[in-house]
Amino acid sequence: MKQLKRNKIGLYIGIAAALIVLVALYAVTGQEAFIRTTLSGLTLGSLFFLVAAGLTLIFGLMDVLNFAHGAMFMLGAYIGWQFYTNPTFIFGMLPAVLSLSFGLLLIPLIKPYLIALNLSEKLQKNLPKLLYVLAALAALVAFWQFDILGLAKTAMVAATVTNVGNPLAEISAQEPMARFWIRPLMLVISGLLLAVAVSKPGDKSQFAPREKIGKNLILPIVLLVSLIVSILVREQAPQIVLLMNGNLRFALSIVAAVLFGILFGAIIEITMIRPLYIRPFFIVLMTLGLSFVIRELVQLLWDPLAYQMSRPPLFATVGKAATSVGEWLRTGSSTINISGVIFPTYRLFVILLGVVMFIFVTVLMTRTRMGMIIRAGVQDPQMVEALGINVKQVFTLVFALGVALAALGGIGAAPFLPINPLMGDTYQMQGFITVVIGGMGSYVGAFVGALILGMARAFGDYYALKLSLSPAIAEASTVIIMIIVLLIKPRGLFGKKE
Amino acid sequence: MSGYIELPNTLLSVQGIDTYIGQFHILEGVSVDVPAGAITVLLGRNGAGKTTTLKSILGLTPPRTGKVIFEGVEIQGKRAFNIANMGIGYVPENRAIFKALSVLENLKLAERKKGDLERHESLIYGLFPDLKRLEKLPGDHLSGGQQQMLAVARALVPDNKLLLIDEPSEGLAPILIQEMMEAIRKLKETTTILLVEQNFIMASKLAERFVIIDDGRSVHSGLMSDLVLNEELVQQYLGASIKTRVKEAK
Repeated sequence: MKQLKRNKIGLYIGIAAALIVLVALYAVTGQEAFIRTTLSGLTLGSLFFLVAAGLTLIFGLMDVLNFAHGAMFMLGAYIGWQFYTNPTFIFGMLPAVLSLSFGLLLIPLIKPYLIALNLSEKLQKNLPKLLYVLAALAALVAFWQFDILGLAKTAMVAATVTNVGNPLAEISAQEPMARFWIRPLMLVISGLLLAVAVSKPGDKSQFAPREKIGKNLILPIVLLVSLIVSILVREQAPQIVLLMNGNLRFALSIVAAVLFGILFGAIIEITMIRPLYIRPFFIVLMTLGLSFVIRELVQLLWDPLAYQMSRPPLFATVGKAATSVGEWLRTGSSTINISGVIFPTYRLFVILLGVVMFIFVTVLMTRTRMGMIIRAGVQDPQMVEALGINVKQVFTLVFALGVALAALGGIGAAPFLPINPLMGDTYQMQGFITVVIGGMGSYVGAFVGALILGMARAFGDYYALKLSLSPAIAEASTVIIMIIVLLIKPRGLFGKKE
Repeated sequence: MSGYIELPNTLLSVQGIDTYIGQFHILEGVSVDVPAGAITVLLGRNGAGKTTTLKSILGLTPPRTGKVIFEGVEIQGKRAFNIANMGIGYVPENRAIFKALSVLENLKLAERKKGDLERHESLIYGLFPDLKRLEKLPGDHLSGGQQQMLAVARALVPDNKLLLIDEPSEGLAPILIQEMMEAIRKLKETTTILLVEQNFIMASKLAERFVIIDDGRSVHSGLMSDLVLNEELVQQYLGASIKTRVKEAK
């Protein structure tokens, strides 16, 4: 009880200190500049939160420092931008992704039967190796002479200045259908071979319950249907998407980026991070290497250039600033007048996005069983497992959730930041500082830390400009804040005692 | 006596398991038979491998060789959550109460099916009435005794056929030890219990059977009533200081 009281007192002191700082800034800066800088700070803070929330959850639960988080933020921006500008690439690649995952998702279905097989020890050892090679060969056949780069360039063409008004002009010629069917088919086979190899046929020490086949069947069937649909609509879909209302298209590109984040995060966790949990240091090197690979691949696909994504119509009408939210929603004005300050409406949307995601994470963590498992797992994953909960599965879900939040941050930032292969790096750095300030593993800490950092950077930039100091002041300010916080509370503002 | 005789109504049978933690060979042939409906206690000096035996059964530190048979099914090598879901509850030595969760959430988390807690509410709050009052309190505000009760209560939420209870009396005040003993005795009516207990008096009053583990090996097993009379054996494996306590226990 004593501790509870002390925590509360600390909280009050913190709130009081924050208010004093804000009032002081208000007095020194003046009303107009204060409101503008605060709103900028909130925009930045919102993006920092989206990056830091994933980092802190992943670190808290699995002790994984994900150095590829910034690269995942950047990928989210690219995927969203692609979907919004010209989704030919995404719809072109979708059948490949779906067919490979379809094969892999059959694992729980076939595993009980594969384990029951009677194989000699030698065969048990060598069969998976052979299957891996065959799977790689099948995948190679599937992508043989497949022009991925050409497909990727379609959106770039649409993004060039001359084609702004007509994104449909340059959709590349499609492969003949007959040849195309072979590719997904080979990938399904490749996925199946992988699934068999991963199941370790004949290895009876494994455990695979057979009774839940009906439940295991749902996901593969859904995937199979969407695979067939994705093959059939792959030529029409990009045009349908491009002809729809711009706001709806933007909403869908957010969905696309988030779905991509979930899928990508799950794949990375299962294939690369899971085997390394016993060697935490290797995970740092692995994720760092992964971020380089992702960056180079993006440069290969879309060239080392910076792109500007056009803002969706709701935030695009240039001209007189809207005077109220109602007027903005009606006219789609690009700026809004907030008590005398002209502020871009899109940035308000980013602030809203951050707040909504904070509420989402709070509800998830405090109101759901999943959240309970995460909070318990942060302290003692072994005991959670001893209660009969599949902790590895929870790890995968949390990693996927974290990456999805980063990808959401990426697409959220895309309409007002230049999209380039390095765009995630700053946010990753600030994300780590946010996590340290807020306390490892605490999403509330990530939120508060993100707000503090966003404000520090915004006011740092403002004063650097005003007093003609080096703009590095703003960047240094976040590190200085981190040092001060660590001196007072070594575990961060909301860090728990071990 | 490191061999084993399978009893007719054996619920759990551990047969010659070897367990390594890192590169350390902790268990070098432990065999334990747990008959259904009774309390079996693991005895032995500190560091003998009692806790590791429990963890090996549950798959938290999987044994490298040997067999663990639960209800006629070999469970060694399975993942811990699968083993737990077969109906094994675990009360660890350090209690492992989730500090960020309230008492109620701690219990809810242990549910395997929806409504598990509701069905066993009367049993749990009957044994530990204090917990009802503390429902909303976060785990890190509980006293040691309250934490121990919550740890046992947590293992009662799902339908468990076997409870692995590690040192329930450790660090408890004498009056609480009494309460805990009562609770465990009541639990025996419905489940089977494998207990690790340093407190020889408590162990001798509760358990029907014992297994002595020494230096990673199971060296003796039998009826508790025989052990209490065998001062030599107790002195040899459990230390001289216990000798006087044996007399008390008698």
